[in-house]
This record gives sequence, C-alpha cells and structure tokens, in this order.
Amino acid sequence: MFNQLGGAPSNPNKDLEVTSPPDDTVSALEFSPPSLPQTFLVSGSWDCRVRCWEVEASGKTVPKAVQSMDGPILDVAWHDDGSKIFMASTDKSVKCWDLASNQAIQVAAHEAPVKTCHWIKAPNYTCLMTASWDKTLKFWDTRSAVPIMNMNLSERCYCADVDYPMAVVGTADRGICLYTLEGKPGEFKRVESPLKHQHRCIAIFRDKKTKQPTGFALGSVEGRVAIQYVNPTNPKDNFTFKCHRPPANTTGYQDIYAVNDIAFHPAHGTLATVGSDGSFSFWDKDARTRLKSSEMLDQPLTKCAFNHNGQIFAYAVGYDWSKGHEHFNPAKKNYIYLRACYEDLKPRST
Amino acid sequence: MGRKKKKASKPWCWYCNREFDDEKILIQHQKAKHFKCHICHKKLYTGPGLSIHCMQVHKEAIDKVPNSLPNRSNIEIEIYGMEGIPPEDMKEHEKQKSGGGKGDEDSDDDEPAAKKKATPALLGPGPSQVTQGILPTPMGPVPPGMYPGHMQMQMMPPFMQAPRMMMPGMRPLFPAASMPPTSTSKPTFPAYSMYSGSNTTTTYYSNATISAPPTTTTPSSSSEHKENGEVKPPAANACPLVTATGAGSKIIHPPEDVSLEEIRARSAKYRAKPKADAPAAQPQPAPAMITPSTSQAEVAAHMNAAVAAARQQQAAAALRRGVLNSMGGMGSMGGMGSMGAMGGMVGMLPPQGMVPRVPVPHVPVSVPQMPPVVPMLPVMPQFNLVRQLQPGMLLPGGMMPMGAMFPSGMVMQPRYR
Repeated sequence: MFNQLGGAPSNPNKDLEVTSPPDDTVSALEFSPPSLPQTFLVSGSWDCRVRCWEVEASGKTVPKAVQSMDGPILDVAWHDDGSKIFMASTDKSVKCWDLASNQAIQVAAHEAPVKTCHWIKAPNYTCLMTASWDKTLKFWDTRSAVPIMNMNLSERCYCADVDYPMAVVGTADRGICLYTLEGKPGEFKRVESPLKHQHRCIAIFRDKKTKQPTGFALGSVEGRVAIQYVNPTNPKDNFTFKCHRPPANTTGYQDIYAVNDIAFHPAHGTLATVGSDGSFSFWDKDARTRLKSSEMLDQPLTKCAFNHNGQIFAYAVGYDWSKGHEHFNPAKKNYIYLRACYEDLKPRST
Repeated sequence: MGRKKKKASKPWCWYCNREFDDEKILIQHQKAKHFKCHICHKKLYTGPGLSIHCMQVHKEAIDKVPNSLPNRSNIEIEIYGMEGIPPEDMKEHEKQKSGGGKGDEDSDDDEPAAKKKATPALLGPGPSQVTQGILPTPMGPVPPGMYPGHMQMQMMPPFMQAPRMMMPGMRPLFPAASMPPTSTSKPTFPAYSMYSGSNTTTTYYSNATISAPPTTTTPSSSSEHKENGEVKPPAANACPLVTATGAGSKIIHPPEDVSLEEIRARSAKYRAKPKADAPAAQPQPAPAMITPSTSQAEVAAHMNAAVAAARQQQAAAALRRGVLNSMGGMGSMGGMGSMGAMGGMVGMLPPQGMVPRVPVPHVPVSVPQMPPVVPMLPVMPQFNLVRQLQPGMLLPGGMMPMGAMFPSGMVMQPRYR
C-alpha cells in the first residue's frame, strides 16, 4: 500500500494495449474522422514520430504507418476527409502527411515550436490553424508559403481547440482568446481565466440541444478544470472542479497534479480528463458528478481521445516531465490503451 | 482591477500566508490552527507558549508550529496576530502584494471550512453533504490541521461574478446561449465579505486574496530575461512560479511557470535536428543555453534566436516553394479512395518498434560546458524539483519535500455525491 515506487501496475484498468507503442512520451492522440469507414488512431510523440494504427472492431491494433519530423511532435490533426494528417513540431514547422502517397510536405512555419494544429472545415473555406510559442496564431491554406491570416496572441500558446464555428486558444500567463470562424477567422473576445494556474489543456463542448459549440473546459496544472460558457445564461453555469489530486499521503501533503488533457464524448457530451497523477476520470458536467475514476497507473497520462462515435476511449501513458527531467526513466515503456467507454460515459440520469 | 484597493493593509498570518479582514479573526485563526495543542487541544497564544505548554504539561517537545508553511514553522518566534512578524518578512509580504503577485493567487483550496460550507448548493440539488471537519469522502477524517481541500466539483463563486467583456457592436457568436449574465455579487458569508468582494474580478494581474506563497519571488531577475531576442515573458510575469499556496498541498510541477513541453523541449535530447537546408539555425543558441543562471534561459531554449528564425524562415520558404511545385493538385486528390490504399502502400511495419530508435546518450546533469557544435546540450539544472539556490532564483532550498513519486495502490478519488 505505501510502497511508493513502482507499486502501481502498468495496466490496472485492464484495457487493450496498442501494439508497437511510441518510443517516447505521447504528445498528441487523435482518432480518424467519421469520413473514413475504418478507425485509425494517430499519435505524435517526443521521439519525433507520428504513428498510425488501424483499430479493428475487435480492439486489435495494426500498425500502419509512421512518419517523422526534425523535432518532437507537439500536436497532430486529421484532415476532415481522413486522407491527411497534420503534424506540428518543435522544429517550428507543420507538415502535411498525405497517407496515400506517404509523403510529408511542410505547410506551415512559425518562429518557435508549433504547439497546436487544427484543421478547420467551414462551409465556405478550409484551412489549417496553427498556434505557436512565438505568440502567433496563423491560418494556412496549405498551398501557400504565407499564411492567409496571422493573429497575435497575448502569450505563448499552450493549448487550443477548434469546433466550427468556434476556436479557442489558451496561452501562458493565463490568457484565453475565443475566435469565430464563420465567414473567415476572426478574434471574438478575450476571456478572463477562471483558473489561477497555468493553462494546460482546453476542449470545446456543445450545447446539448442545439449541438452548437457553446463553451469550453479548461484544465490547469493545479488539478482543476473550469467549465466555462461563452455566454452563460446564468452566471452560475460556469464553475470549476478539482481533479487529479490523490488523497494526502503520509507526509501530510496533498499532491496536486496537472490536468494533462480533456476530451468530450461526441455522443453524450460528458467529458474525460487525464492527469499527471496517472489516472483518468469521466465526468458529467451538467450533473456535476464524476461518472468514473480509473485505477492509478504508474506513470502520468498525457493525452486522451474519443473516436468519432464515442465507442473507444484512448489514453496515452508516459512521463510528462512534471517532476523534472531527473525523474525521466528512459527504460520505462510508453503505452497507449484503448477502452470501450460508451456505457461509462452515459450521463447520470437524474 | 477593481480589487486592488484594500489589499495593502490586510492582516495576514505569518505561519501560512493567509490574509484576513480583521486582526481579531487572524488571532482566532492562529489560535485554532497554529497554537493549538495537538494532545489536549488547548489553544495557546503564541508559538513559544505552545512549545512550553507541551513540554511542561505533556512532556513533549514540539519543533514546528502546526500547519505552518515549511519555512515559517519556527516555534521560537513569538508572533501574535500581526505582532512580532520579522521585518524582512513584512517587507517581503508587502512586495508580494504590490509587485505582480500574479500566478501566486491561491486557489480556494484553503479557504476556511466554514466558508466552504456556506457556499450554497455546489453540487446540484444536494448542498447537504459537507459536514465540517469531515470530508465527504471515503478517506476518513482529515488529519488535524489539514485543510479540507478535497471537495470535488467545488464551485468557485467568485468567478461567476466576473464581468463579461462583451465588446460593443459584436454579435454573439454562439447563439446557443447569448444572454448576458446578470451580475449578482452578494457575499455568501459576511465575515469574509471582503474576500469574495475583492475576488469578483479576477484580472490577469490581480493579486492574491490569500497572499503570496512562501517561495520568495523577487522581481529582480525579471528584467534580464533576454538574450538573442528570444521571446520573453511579459513584465507582469516577472518570475512566475508554480506554487500551491495551500499549506497542505503541493503542485507536482517544476517550479517555473512554464509549460512542461517548453521545459522538456529545452533539454538536449529533444532539440530539433538541424535542418539540412538551414544549418545556421543551430549553433548560436548553444552558449545561451548552457548558462546555468536559470531565468534568462526561461522560456526559450527551443525558440531559437529570432535571428536564426528569420534565416530559417527564408530557408523554409524556399523549401516550400520547391515542394509546392510538386504538389500541384493536392486539393483535388480524392481522400477516401486514396486512404484505402494506405495500408498497402505503406505496408505493415515490423511489430517490434515501428522504427529503430535513435540512440541518445544520456547526458549527465553536471556537464559543465560543451562546444556548441555538439548537438547535445547539458540538461539545465534548474529543473530540479528539489530546488537549489541559484543566482536569479531566490528560493528557499528544498521547500517542497519530495514525497511519494506515485502514491501507489488503489487510490480512490473522493466522490462528491
């Protein structure tokens, strides 16, 4: 029980292990869009590689392809037709990987590592949105060396999400900026942060009835998630909750871990969080309850994703640097696990 | 913005850095939290008083003031309310208050239990579960003095009242809910009205209600970030640190308030490989990177010098121009059809590791200096969690005892319902 090191097993939740996992920590995890009949899972990792697996109905994963860049990968995004994958790297570029030809070509550039990339599909245009530590947000049509739009951020980008017609970027110094993508991308408003610590992850959620994006969930390094509506009907709609804080240990200190990623279930509108503490949790933000919390793994969880119909929950296990470089153990294997999650994420019926 | 008025003169507790509206309440707090005998629960008046009491009555020596911050646990110092606070700590506190204490803001973790209790209906319909002193969790009772900071899904009342920043003439983007909020700002708990009142606007640079953390951040090192035109944190960000102000908790994160990815990307192992067509980009950041004086290197190891960036961008542009020619009809390429071919085209990969791993030698932390040609750079020492005192980084060493790496076993998080 109090065995501090290596006590937790690597797969205590009995989930399906993805074969041939990345050699270093996973920094991005995305399932293929609904336009593809099969399900593919793509990961970007600190070993500078982007890997693609096909996930069969049985849960079996088949490695399909791999692509590499000159620096560690910080984000990946699918093209809406599923034919291409965008890869953002610390090498300050974003490449477009055409899966059919297995060619990767540069489609975006920044003056600093590119933290996020998102494919935007609007009725009247498509483009790639990239945000970087160079404090800019850029929009690219992928065929031109110059961005079609270039916007300044208040700080370095730490996280971003896109759900047409909304985009949101979280930055260092606790900045949040909302963008409207209707017609063309434009800044909508800057929002005061509901959180008091460094932003780490952000995810847009939709209104239950209209199915339109209506707010976002923001996670910080202080084990806390804020649910924030763009235009709350009632100020009480916005709230924050704590997570990824295991009970105090024998030293009397409570350890507070970063929320590493947030994902909303595409069908239920409930959400999953993964944390540096090595656990994931499912939440119902409307009932303000936790639906499930996982067993503790022996390494942090860095990323998570739902597939497009919400049947599969994928999460990545690997060291996230939260205890500094000296706690990095290269001998420890990285994992990606898959879990059938549809039932677990059903909202609480009250 | 609106909340800066009153903060200068608020009484605060030397032991835990908490602020109070009233010195009387502060004294009550100190008696209850810091001067209470853990054996007979008698409330004493000062630290030495407690120590003498325990020694004489219970024959027990107390070496630390209960529930105090690690560097404020001295039981010898006689402090009563605001009296007896060492002048340097007083000054330090003032500085924290006036200088951008941003990022130091406390979470509501260590709000008094009473206040939490008073926050209405946090968890939907059932506001009842919280019994003071007992956590609504399966964890059993709180060790004495632990702040009951475990409530999940705790509402943060202050934020609800944050003013909207609707720009005039802007139409609502997301029609789902376009009603502007009605602002209701009534303090939930009168005794703490200044609290919540001052909390209502959480500005970016606003200061903490509960004051700064024990870690001393001095603005001095802020001005000198910056060499080779790298992106520097803004002034308000002076020496941002990630610290939990709650005396009973610590945030598992490197001390710098910089994202884990940025910190990681700085380390030698993860530097981007020099590009074939932009070889100039690599060498020059090296010297800057090795300097052990932490704060300059701050943000930007990865963000190569702006100089280099400019050059590199040219190169990149050239590269792309070349590439674009060959890319002609990309837009028209059929997605679905080509995807089907993917499996065949790319082929199955060997099961053991899809790609051979590039061996990376492990660089010892203490490597003093390396010639810039070597692509591996020593890992900078300031990532040490157990901080060492370093120039430009005024931190009480070993502030946060590193506890368990991973609390093992099955750790259930508390349920709040």
